Amino acid sequence: MTDDEFSKISVFVHDARKPLNRISMQAELVKMALNGDIPAQKAAEALDKIIASAKDCSNTLAEMTTQMSASNSDSSDD
Amino acid sequence: MLTVLLVDDDAEFTEVACTIIEFLGHEVLTAATLQEARNWLEKETFDHILLDFMLPDGSGAHLFDELDSLDKRPRVTLITGHPSVKSVIKGLCGPNIDYLVKPIQREDIEAVLTKKSEKAAPKKAKIEKHFDLLIGESPAMKDLYKLISRVSKTSANVMLLGESGVGKEVVAAAIHKASDSEGAYVATNCGAFSKELIASELFGHEKGAFTGAVGRKEGVFEQAESGTLFLDEITEMPIDMQPNLLRVLENKVVIRVGGTKTIPVNCRVVSATNRTMEEIAQSKVLREDIYFRLAVFPITIPPLRERKEDIALLAKTFIEEFNKDNNAKFKWDDTQLDTLQAYDWPGNVRELRHFVHRAAIMSDPESNVLELPKTIESPFAQKQSTTPSLQAGRTIEDVEKELIYATLEKVNGNKTMAAEMLGISTKTLYNRLHAYGDLSKDEQ
Repeated sequence: MTDDEFSKISVFVHDARKPLNRISMQAELVKMALNGDIPAQKAAEALDKIIASAKDCSNTLAEMTTQMSASNSDSSDD
Repeated sequence: MLTVLLVDDDAEFTEVACTIIEFLGHEVLTAATLQEARNWLEKETFDHILLDFMLPDGSGAHLFDELDSLDKRPRVTLITGHPSVKSVIKGLCGPNIDYLVKPIQREDIEAVLTKKSEKAAPKKAKIEKHFDLLIGESPAMKDLYKLISRVSKTSANVMLLGESGVGKEVVAAAIHKASDSEGAYVATNCGAFSKELIASELFGHEKGAFTGAVGRKEGVFEQAESGTLFLDEITEMPIDMQPNLLRVLENKVVIRVGGTKTIPVNCRVVSATNRTMEEIAQSKVLREDIYFRLAVFPITIPPLRERKEDIALLAKTFIEEFNKDNNAKFKWDDTQLDTLQAYDWPGNVRELRHFVHRAAIMSDPESNVLELPKTIESPFAQKQSTTPSLQAGRTIEDVEKELIYATLEKVNGNKTMAAEMLGISTKTLYNRLHAYGDLSKDEQ
């Protein structure tokens, strides 16, 4: 892997971690709602956000695959 | 209740974190940029700041100088999105800062806010005692544990071989413990009894069997019924007593001294010697038939110098024991443990234990600092290199022997050089060594 490729991947990894971190935080809210610490409505909202973040993460990873394979075929053409 | 400032540019993160922090009973304000954080700091005082390391208008570390100039400096916990950043920040900001690495859990936030960090409750690494008795995690000891648990499932007789002080008796007790046998563990030292008494010790005697036998006595074989009998220094047992022992081992019955009745015995015999197998074979201190009866399963216990990584564990255990018994609070520091580890411990674990206790006794009981002597010395470390001045009444043969060994020691065993220094021919030197029975030296 070249330095250029590595820095590219790092950006994607960073972008993919962000929704994962959000998912983790929202999951804490769901746990609290199940305990009755916060209203159940909050859990429903949190779950929606978890689903949205999961999609974000998935998109980021898909995007990374596309870009990396594109650059891979570029370099193999050289 | 604490007043907390949360500085992070991820709105979703701050929203959830606020819910959690408020639920924990604290008041929380948020800022998304360094500038917003500065504005809050002018207006409010905070107990704690949760600070993202990477903000749109700069690094969270820029806030540090301003925090120092505040009347009441809040505690700071840095939040980072990447584990690898943690070590970088640590170098940058010093050790007095807490860190949270995303993804953050509720318990993490709770821990930093209530200061239940790992620093407050240092986890005391418990030193494991294998079979409740043995200490050490070195590969050599792990092999030993494996052997002990294997043999404990059988009823085979075990012979323990190992240098003085390696813990043969402790291993014997461990074998007994691992065996889960219903009988007792009985230990006796074959070198401690005179020829006349050893039969009575091993097999017992009837009343009036000999002068002084005022009552009936059970021998150790009977005492250890369904248990384990430990015979220490088996090679010190008088050779003419060994046929009696052999008969017991073969027939599994004892007859008390002065008695006629055969008493069935059923115990595992664990014997021990500090001689090597070769020595036993050559020196004829143990009859061959006895050896094979006793050493169905021979186990060699490694000397301490072959498992130096265990020295620190042992030293810690011994000082804990001492502290407990004497109400002291002594502690090792790492350089002291290094010193201990560098030494060869010819007297093995026993020497180490005595050394630790001696050091503890010599140290100031008011402090918790152990004072070690400048050098660790043992009379057994070298073979009589510091010869005591000559005394009248010693035989010439004795002194000659000592002189020869001292000279050999000096020239690292080089016999040609030693002979030259002594003014004798190498052939004479070899003859002398041969006469002393020092065959191993002879072979070198």
